Amino acid sequence: MDTRNDMLRLLKSRRPGFSLEQPFYTDPDYHRLDLELIWYRDWLFVGHDCEVAKPGAYFTVQVGDYPVVIVRGRDGQIRAFHNSCRHRGSRVCTTQKGTSARLVCPYHQWTYDLDGSLVFARQMAEDFRKEEFGLKPVACESVGGYVFICLANEPADFAPFRALMEPYFRPHRLTEAKVAFESTIVEKGNWKLVWENNRECYHCAGNHPELCKTFPEAPTVTGVNGAESDPDMLAHWARCEAAGLPSRFRIDERGQYRATRAPLLRDAVSYTMSGRRAVKRNLSDDVAADRIGTLLLYHYPTTWNHVLGDHAVTFRVLPISANETAVTTKWLVHKDAVEGVDYDLAELTHVWTETNDQDRRIVEENAFGIRSPAYEPGPYSELHEGGVIQFVDWYAGFMAPRLAEGAAPRLKSVA
Amino acid sequence: MNAPADPALYRHLDEMTPWDDRLQVLEVTGVTEEAPDVRTFTFRSDAQTWFRYKPGQFVTLELPVGPEPLLRTYTLSSSPSRPFSIAVTAKAQAGSIGTRWMFENLKPGAHVRAYGPAGGFTHHDHPAGKYLFISAGSGVTPMMSMLRWFSDCAPWSDVAFVNCARRPEEIIFRKELELLGSRMPGLSLGFLIEERSSRESWFGHMGRIDAVRLPLLSPDFREREVFCCGPDPFMRAVRGMLEASGFDMTHYHQESFAAPAPAPAPVDVEALAAEDGAPVQEALPIRFSLSDASGECLPGQTILQAARAAGVRIPAACEFGLCGTCKTMKLSGEVEMAHNGGILDDEIAEGFILACCSKPLTAVEVAA
Repeated sequence: MDTRNDMLRLLKSRRPGFSLEQPFYTDPDYHRLDLELIWYRDWLFVGHDCEVAKPGAYFTVQVGDYPVVIVRGRDGQIRAFHNSCRHRGSRVCTTQKGTSARLVCPYHQWTYDLDGSLVFARQMAEDFRKEEFGLKPVACESVGGYVFICLANEPADFAPFRALMEPYFRPHRLTEAKVAFESTIVEKGNWKLVWENNRECYHCAGNHPELCKTFPEAPTVTGVNGAESDPDMLAHWARCEAAGLPSRFRIDERGQYRATRAPLLRDAVSYTMSGRRAVKRNLSDDVAADRIGTLLLYHYPTTWNHVLGDHAVTFRVLPISANETAVTTKWLVHKDAVEGVDYDLAELTHVWTETNDQDRRIVEENAFGIRSPAYEPGPYSELHEGGVIQFVDWYAGFMAPRLAEGAAPRLKSVA
Repeated sequence: MNAPADPALYRHLDEMTPWDDRLQVLEVTGVTEEAPDVRTFTFRSDAQTWFRYKPGQFVTLELPVGPEPLLRTYTLSSSPSRPFSIAVTAKAQAGSIGTRWMFENLKPGAHVRAYGPAGGFTHHDHPAGKYLFISAGSGVTPMMSMLRWFSDCAPWSDVAFVNCARRPEEIIFRKELELLGSRMPGLSLGFLIEERSSRESWFGHMGRIDAVRLPLLSPDFREREVFCCGPDPFMRAVRGMLEASGFDMTHYHQESFAAPAPAPAPVDVEALAAEDGAPVQEALPIRFSLSDASGECLPGQTILQAARAAGVRIPAACEFGLCGTCKTMKLSGEVEMAHNGGILDDEIAEGFILACCSKPLTAVEVAA
């Protein structure tokens, strides 16, 4: 409770436009509150529909203390369950992904149907009622090829996000793409540092030679302010919308998610060293227009995304501890695109593999420095770091009232 | 699954769907003492379905005897002309486990899982003008199924029915056979016992079946389609007599109720050899490539059972094709698989089978 009060006090007294106090980036108790109040409450991007393309396909994810399995049922529906056997709690699915006709606990072979119902438990008492011991469901929604889960008992309404995001993404048909490659790196830094780094391109010029060949450093692209007055952005939106692709900048009123389409530099069409396409075959049969730039989406706290004409790169952030964050990157291409024929995997993944590694080093250096007793919050660049300011404001805006719920004033006994 | 309904309520056949062994379990509706240590167990489906089978076929009962359920095959004694129920008639031999368990546990209202029906020992597949059904002991059950069908559907059929027993009171279905004999003009009954009994008088033939007695019981046996069922020595004797008499053996069909030859490995021989009730046709060779072991798969036996008999361990849990624990790669050969959703079509296409519910149709090699 003291941590809650401390955290709340620091959030309320923070200087706007400045980075957060040290414990937000380092303290295990603060991290636990991040998990409880953000990660266990909000919608989280976990993976793609196309990763569970067929009935019986599943993947697993670990959110804080919660192991979760996402599986496609015989009816085609994607569902999520707590990956904990109702017998003695063992994890039922122990691999990151797989395909199985039923979900069978490896411990005693309690067998769950793909809809979570317990269908077989060997030699239990006669009055044992299987229907009372199905896998516990986790709220699960799929939109535009993205699967989101929510661990809260009463999840926030998913409909507004769906309404904003779906029209932008539907033409790109990520539901039926395929993951050409994925990588997971662990960055030794707090998840908020990973996000803060991602929300600005102030650092790009000095750190991302590969990405800077194609991705503009203009703050209007990554930030949340000024896009509407940038003639390049307006022209790009007009061109793309004329081609049937929703593109204008839209953001949730609470700042949790936004979508927009941004141009790449000059004639670049893809994140390659040459700027030329990495995949011969278009990502979507429905999008033939060229130079559509990149469709950007973020949804706090788990995902930022780039959808191009020839491929998509999606990112998933998951906290491991106060000082470690896993970042999973997936490169999606048309499901019929053939490696070695339609694309070269090294060429496809080069730019973001390098960029991710560069970002990892930046975040880790940042975390190192923040652990110094001499650290104190510093000012963000209003011109270049509007996106970071927006992220920190979102964080404070979500955390403060939730902290206040649980931090009802308790009178200390006075001797 | 169809909703269970009050068994006392009659539903027309065309309102009901056929029994599906994957979905429905059997419920005992009656248990009848037929002879010493011989009982008939009558079942209906727990979901009021009807039974589609040929007279003479068998079912496999899954008996929850111990930690690993026993699978036992029993020929049906009932006739598909009375499709609302099925019945098996079983003799509990000394040392039997499965049938003894049935005697002690299967009471009206009890439920048991079953698979099938299956088997090719049926006159339906060998139509003829005249039949000889020759059986010993509980080998009478498939004969009874066929005879009941004839009585219901073709009562003028020409059937010579010969049954051999040790004592008069051990003749199973004797009273019913005599009743049918009075109603089917073409039915001739012949009984042969080995020893007299103090409990019942006996005026008929005595001794073991041989070249002298067979023509006495069925003078025109050479003109008949012969169905034979009983212990191995009995069937060997009948076969020998027929061959010696110049009988055209393409018209001879046999089904066994004796335990088959002992399994090569002593592992779980019990589960291997269906006591009392297993029709023995031809064993198929099975190869376990990872264990470098070979074995035989007896008719009605699953690959999992054959593996156990050969000392090869395949992990398994539910043993009715539901959990998929026994998923195994089939390297060659053909099987018939009656799974319960424990395997995906894609996995089947890749060559996987569930060992617990796959029975070989040919020689088989599996990666186990």
